[in-house]
Amino acid sequence: MTHAVALGQRALREATRTPEALLPTLFIPLFFLVVNVGQAGKIFPSETTPFLEGQGYAAFQLPASLLLAASFGTAALFLVEDIEGGYFDKLRAAPISRTAIVLGRLLAEAVKGVLIAAVLVLVALPFGIEIASGPIGFVLLVVLTALWAVVYAGFMQLIALKTRSAAATNSGGLVFFPLLFLTPNFVPRELLTRPMEIAATLNPVTYVMESLRALILEDLSWSGVAPGFLVVAVALVAMIALNVRLIRSYD
Amino acid sequence: MHEQTTTGRPPAGEAAVQTTALVKTYRSRSGTVEAVRGVDLRVEAGEVFGFLGPNGAGKSTTVRMLTTLLSITSGSARVAGVDVAADPDAARRTMGVALQEAGLDPRQTGRELLVLQGRLFGLSPARARDRAAELLALVELDDAADRRIKGYSGGMKRRLDLASALVHEPQVLFLDEPTTGLDPGSRLTVWEEVRRINGRGTTVFLTTQYLEEADQLCDRLAIIDGGRIVREGTPASLKAELRARTGSSADPTLDEVFLDATGRTRGRVAGDVQEVST
Repeated sequence: MTHAVALGQRALREATRTPEALLPTLFIPLFFLVVNVGQAGKIFPSETTPFLEGQGYAAFQLPASLLLAASFGTAALFLVEDIEGGYFDKLRAAPISRTAIVLGRLLAEAVKGVLIAAVLVLVALPFGIEIASGPIGFVLLVVLTALWAVVYAGFMQLIALKTRSAAATNSGGLVFFPLLFLTPNFVPRELLTRPMEIAATLNPVTYVMESLRALILEDLSWSGVAPGFLVVAVALVAMIALNVRLIRSYD
Repeated sequence: MHEQTTTGRPPAGEAAVQTTALVKTYRSRSGTVEAVRGVDLRVEAGEVFGFLGPNGAGKSTTVRMLTTLLSITSGSARVAGVDVAADPDAARRTMGVALQEAGLDPRQTGRELLVLQGRLFGLSPARARDRAAELLALVELDDAADRRIKGYSGGMKRRLDLASALVHEPQVLFLDEPTTGLDPGSRLTVWEEVRRINGRGTTVFLTTQYLEEADQLCDRLAIIDGGRIVREGTPASLKAELRARTGSSADPTLDEVFLDATGRTRGRVAGDVQEVST
């Protein structure tokens, strides 16, 4: 674990020294929050829209922005730079576990995910959004977003390790975007058309989004947050296992 | 062979590097490619061993197998007495690696890179900081230690890469084309570093396309072509063998040994005998 932490610290330094790669992860989700609320906010007034639980439409939209913020995957592009520049081989030539090499960047993603989620939520609060589940709910909201960021970074790392190409990694990351939109991101699942409802039900991202939404709109309840954490836990184990398997057979 | 110390030696009777029938094959869309076809090598502790060959001859593939970066198709390889396939982590502790592209992280400072490297090789934070300072002084990068690596010149990057390969005081140092792309002054500096490192007892396994470099630095060398070793010996013995075989009145150069061994002619080399291509 010491090696993973040391590599995580290095990845965090890398992130802080390239703010141009970090800033879009804050700016673009906020941009979509403002645009989506501006476009659909009047359709769903809080007084007459039961699924908003008394809050504004921005509260309903915030989970989509949090998931978008957690799904940039710039860490995988830094990994491709390491591979292309030869530093990745230097790490592989060190007597450390292959798992530590994978976990180093993922630990840094977790820290970045916590900071980005916290900043996004804190920026959103003055615009009438309340975290109905309270301080514990706020922590869970941030943690769930950060864990999703780790899952997504793990997915991107897989593409990076497999293709060793920045272009392919970038393109591979776009696979996620249909999953982000095949969710109840504008209205709850029961208000979607039948085909969209089926697609959203099959899409694991839906459960993460619904858990984030439950933490924002509802009192804290295990039934509200469990599906999201369960999906993230399963995806996290799968991503780490696949990354470790790939790096062990990396030639 | 240069002045030796008693540190950093493999176990008694063990070679610093030994390969037996080492083979690497790749599967590609066009079929199976045999990059290395049964290489037998023995490098004694304390030597500077040169590994020469044209582009695509199997030099880097062999080094990557020896340094645990590439799987071995068949045969065996031992570094400092450790089987690199059976116990890669133990083998990694015995060796330092500086590959063709200086494997550096441009966003870190030289000092940060060396401290991290020390931590990865098991040094405590304090020892890693001390070791980084020692190495920065050794390669004369003290002044640039706290600058980001992306601002370093090619020669500085090579020296830092060398320093990072030495952080754990390895028994064997693998240098894969350490001077490719460097200006003559930087090349001489790297040569001096290699001699100094070897003088402290570290075995150096050096691949190069520069025959003058091999002539200057290496105690012994092997020439690989088409994945097979085609010549092996000291520079002097290889030249003497060619002179005896051709009946030449003058001593041949290492360039001529190389061209003879690889079946190439000066005409095919397009005017640059040091950058031989297949």
